[in-house]
Amino acid sequence: MTLLESIPEKLGITTPMVDKGGVHWLEPGAMTVRELCAAMNAVKARFITITAYQLPKEEGFRLEYHWDLDGQLLGFPFDLAGKSIESIYDLCEAVDWIEREIHEGFGIDFTGREYEPLLLRQGDTPGVNLREEAK
Amino acid sequence: MSYKIPMGPYHPALEEPYKLDLICDGETVCDAKLHIGFNFRGIEHLAETRNYVQVIALMERVCGICSNIHTLTLCQAMEGLTGMTPPPRAQYIRVIVAELERLHSHVLWAGIAAKLMGFKTMFMTCFELREKVMDVLQAISGNRVNYSMNRVGGVNRDIDDPQAVLKMVEALEAEMLRTVIPIFTTSSTARSRCAGIGVLTLEKALSCGVVGPTARASGLPQDLRRAAPYAAYSELEFDVPVQQDGDVRARLLVRALEIMETCKILRQALTKLPPGELFAGDGKFDFTKLVATTSTSRVEAPRGEVMYSVSWKENSRNPSRVHVRTPTFANMPAVRWMVMGSRLADTPLIQASIDPCYSCTDR
Repeated sequence: MTLLESIPEKLGITTPMVDKGGVHWLEPGAMTVRELCAAMNAVKARFITITAYQLPKEEGFRLEYHWDLDGQLLGFPFDLAGKSIESIYDLCEAVDWIEREIHEGFGIDFTGREYEPLLLRQGDTPGVNLREEAK
Repeated sequence: MSYKIPMGPYHPALEEPYKLDLICDGETVCDAKLHIGFNFRGIEHLAETRNYVQVIALMERVCGICSNIHTLTLCQAMEGLTGMTPPPRAQYIRVIVAELERLHSHVLWAGIAAKLMGFKTMFMTCFELREKVMDVLQAISGNRVNYSMNRVGGVNRDIDDPQAVLKMVEALEAEMLRTVIPIFTTSSTARSRCAGIGVLTLEKALSCGVVGPTARASGLPQDLRRAAPYAAYSELEFDVPVQQDGDVRARLLVRALEIMETCKILRQALTKLPPGELFAGDGKFDFTKLVATTSTSRVEAPRGEVMYSVSWKENSRNPSRVHVRTPTFANMPAVRWMVMGSRLADTPLIQASIDPCYSCTDR
């Protein structure tokens, strides 16, 4: 069994891994993003990025967390009912700027961390959903 | 007593606007804060208002240096949505243009690094060489910056005479071997100015998630061309140069050695260029028949790993989301650790040693 194949078992995820669109997708189920990050750190996966989506109508947001494991891209989707999720910055330093960018562009709050002044824009209040602001 | 020195957003040592707030004690940098966003154009959001073909032209303008890499990654992601596979000739042409872009990007960086070292003659030599690489790109594509080579399912233009391009590449390689490579790898000027400064340890490189030559100069042997081959890279032989010291000289050596590996790849690709079509099918693609609703692609750009995620939108000609993760976005936070403890006078060269691109970073 390769390291990639062993990942669902290591994470305690029972749903199968789906290889689609260049990503090995795993549904995190009841696992929190902090538990996931700790598990990714344990297998020495490399953090790549978080992709944020605003879902249609009032369905909220989806955040897709990506890690690299020996050249294979892993993806973990998290649907947000509200506008906040736990920060993993204290567990993974590489996540700092992308959490700040999503906070500034989508208004999503990553709880448990402090924000420095705006990363991408000057002079405005942080945590604004630019898509709605632009309408 | 510590004091703060702002460097930027507009400063002679910076090629693009961003800001470093350096906290100094005498001539020693104790800490640094980075501020970006001066090039923020909202391109990701703009992409949601363009159709799939227009998005390619838009994304080519994310960066003025690695423009081709952005369309390559985007087209690969869109091919993941449609299930299209470009024909072999297109895959080789993609490699050739991507490696020529790496060549001109690395030589451009070498010139800027030489200027910051106070080695102005070398700056001139590097930029003269870069012009010749640009001439090759112009001969292939008709353009010097935005080459418009990539399309969904293949490439837009052929390389009609690969032997002529090969001759140009061999002439370039000989010139690089005569000037740039020996000076950057052995000269005492480069060594004394770069060795031991701006160190990024392996541990810090891992925790910051740095990519590309910056990672490889800190002992991380990661390169997507090898780890997750795309286009025709799996059919080509090349080495991945890795250095262990993590200082500016290591980053200089990695790029110098990569220039030679790029020439090696170009020689093979131009020699083995297979006959055949330039794009799959009849050149049309149908975004109503998809094999995935979200597709992601990663490519090894000159500065490191670029990632594009593209999502399909029901009943629309436009994608619902295009997310870009650029290499400088991953590398730049590590500059804080590189400059801590260094001399103030070394910071321009240290920040330049990651080959930063703020057009990419800010999008």
